[in-house]
Amino acid sequence: MRPAIQWLRLPVLLFFLARLTVHAQGNTNWVYEATNHLGQWIWDTNTTDKQTCLFWKSFRIPPAAKISSATLRITVDNAYTVYLDGQEIGRGGDWRSVTKYDLMAVLKPGRHVLAVEAFNDRLQAGLILGLHIHLANEGSSTMDILSDNTWWLAPATQRDWYGRKVAQPDWYHAVVIGTIGQPPWQSWPYGITTVPPLRPVALPFWQRGWFQLMLVAVCLLVVLFCLWLMTQLAAQSKAQAFLQLERVRIARDIHDDLGAQLTQLLLLGEVARREYPENSPVRKQFTQICDRARELAQAMDEVVWAVNARRDTVRDFASYVCKYAQLFMAAANIRCRLDVEAEIPSTLFDLPVRRNLFLAVKEALSNAAKHSEAGELFLRIFRRHHQLCVVVEDRGRGFEPSKANGDRNGLVNMAQRLAAIGGSCEVFSLPGEGCRITFSVPLPHGKRRWFKRAILPFDPQNELKNSSHFSRRTA
Amino acid sequence: MKTIPATPSPVAMPPARVVLVEDKPDVRVSWVKLINSLPGFTCLQACTSGEDALRVIPQLDPDLVLMDIFLPRMSGIDCTSQLKQQLPKIQILILTAVEDDELIFMALEAGADGYLLKRTRPEDLKAAMLDALAGGAPMTSEIARRVVESFRRENKQAKPVIHLTAREEEVLILLSKGYSNKEIADRLSIGTETVGSHLKHIYEKMHVRSRGAAVARYMTGK
Repeated sequence: MRPAIQWLRLPVLLFFLARLTVHAQGNTNWVYEATNHLGQWIWDTNTTDKQTCLFWKSFRIPPAAKISSATLRITVDNAYTVYLDGQEIGRGGDWRSVTKYDLMAVLKPGRHVLAVEAFNDRLQAGLILGLHIHLANEGSSTMDILSDNTWWLAPATQRDWYGRKVAQPDWYHAVVIGTIGQPPWQSWPYGITTVPPLRPVALPFWQRGWFQLMLVAVCLLVVLFCLWLMTQLAAQSKAQAFLQLERVRIARDIHDDLGAQLTQLLLLGEVARREYPENSPVRKQFTQICDRARELAQAMDEVVWAVNARRDTVRDFASYVCKYAQLFMAAANIRCRLDVEAEIPSTLFDLPVRRNLFLAVKEALSNAAKHSEAGELFLRIFRRHHQLCVVVEDRGRGFEPSKANGDRNGLVNMAQRLAAIGGSCEVFSLPGEGCRITFSVPLPHGKRRWFKRAILPFDPQNELKNSSHFSRRTA
Repeated sequence: MKTIPATPSPVAMPPARVVLVEDKPDVRVSWVKLINSLPGFTCLQACTSGEDALRVIPQLDPDLVLMDIFLPRMSGIDCTSQLKQQLPKIQILILTAVEDDELIFMALEAGADGYLLKRTRPEDLKAAMLDALAGGAPMTSEIARRVVESFRRENKQAKPVIHLTAREEEVLILLSKGYSNKEIADRLSIGTETVGSHLKHIYEKMHVRSRGAAVARYMTGK
């Protein structure tokens, strides 16, 4: 039995021998690598089971320093989480092996904070670490941040301790509890773990602070701009409304004050005229005065119509043009036939448009009265393809459009007026065939603009109550 | 002082009795002089307000009333409406300084038998008053178009309303196209007086309709 055991022992002994040799050969390299540039074992003043200690240390890399390498070696009995500048860079749970972190890419000249949340499971506890930095440009100097009694311990209740830039007043220093090779860590380390080099996290630009700040700023600017625009718009529409009201007021003032006085003048003239016998020169003069006053009243009506914002509709335009044409043509002894589209809408028709169109039609009517020698004239008003068309047509003498320019400058005038309001003017005439002039202007769209001007409501009852300049004067 | 040689009335008819309603004193005086200067017309009284007119006119029972549209307190339109209810036969012409279609249309609906511009020549004034007395107050093409439109609109709403006869509508459409009463008579081969009576009926229908609408508004409590 005994020799058998002897034989059995030999291979076991051989195995251990071989293993020792391997150890002795590789040991120098990796043990040196693992323990070089390490500080001392540190911990809180007292050690308990299930204890968490919050270690904190700040350091400064000189400005303009060029970092050629930066290596952090760390282990904690029993576990840790390590933070650099408030960002977690790693964790470890096996105190027997040292972990090596390459921090070259994440360290820059300036102030940094290294923090370790260390956990002790039971019995002995300690933290050991060393950050070794090579500075290339300052004569190849080095820098070591080691675990020692300058490290701060934050109370367990402290919040955000690892992100703090300075040590807080209630923090206290760690104590050194041992050096490398001292029990219970004498047979340590068992191994070394190398973590791939840490790189600063490349955040996409939309996650960067500056971008988000800029975005907020831009949004704020846009909001402010919108607000500004809205106030401008409000001010403008207010001004617009004011203008409209003013126009109504002016129209009413002209109508009430001037109109009433003029009518009175006319009546007085008529009465005075009748006090003189027929054919007396005084009566003739009175007749002239009355005629002039009537013309004046007519002209005033035109002004009132043009100014009055309440008349800013296509419908009013049509009715006014018809009225004018009938009166004017009757004076020229030409029968005026009207052909107006039924149910012309009350679409908004702005002052410049209706004024220019009216003046152009007036020109056409007076041309017809002067030159056409027609007995009948047709005035047609209708809508076609979103346009308002006004046609002045006579069955009179007609003319050759290409030859008629000398005395018919009215044609040029009309075309210019229509061009000014985005419309067109079409003249068709042949000698002996009469003349047809077609004016067309684009109609404003029926759809409401969101900031559309309101058509002033016309309330005849109210008009009756407010408008009489007499009730105002007697009031 | 010069005096107007009194022009003898061509017909041996008593002059038409006119009442004027006008609030402005000097204008009132001028109008009275003007009316009295027209042969065949005499101004019985000039009322200063609508209330005055409502008190005086039923007693006088004149042939014709000339009513200013803008009166203090009660408007000429309201006054017309009330007068017409009391005296359906009375002829009322509205006087207005400016041709405002809305107002004229309202006045016609209230029962006015026509309207006159204040700046009308005395000759035209006379003609219009004679027309009114004859029963056919003139109507401008613009108003005619409005009347046609308003009746058509009512018809679209399919309410039991007063309709225009085909002939009446024909007359209105011709009027709206700018034909004179005489031309219309020629075209339709009827007498000028018939055109006038058609117009008179149209005026009456407008009035009846607006009264009906007012009653309907009253009944429905609007």
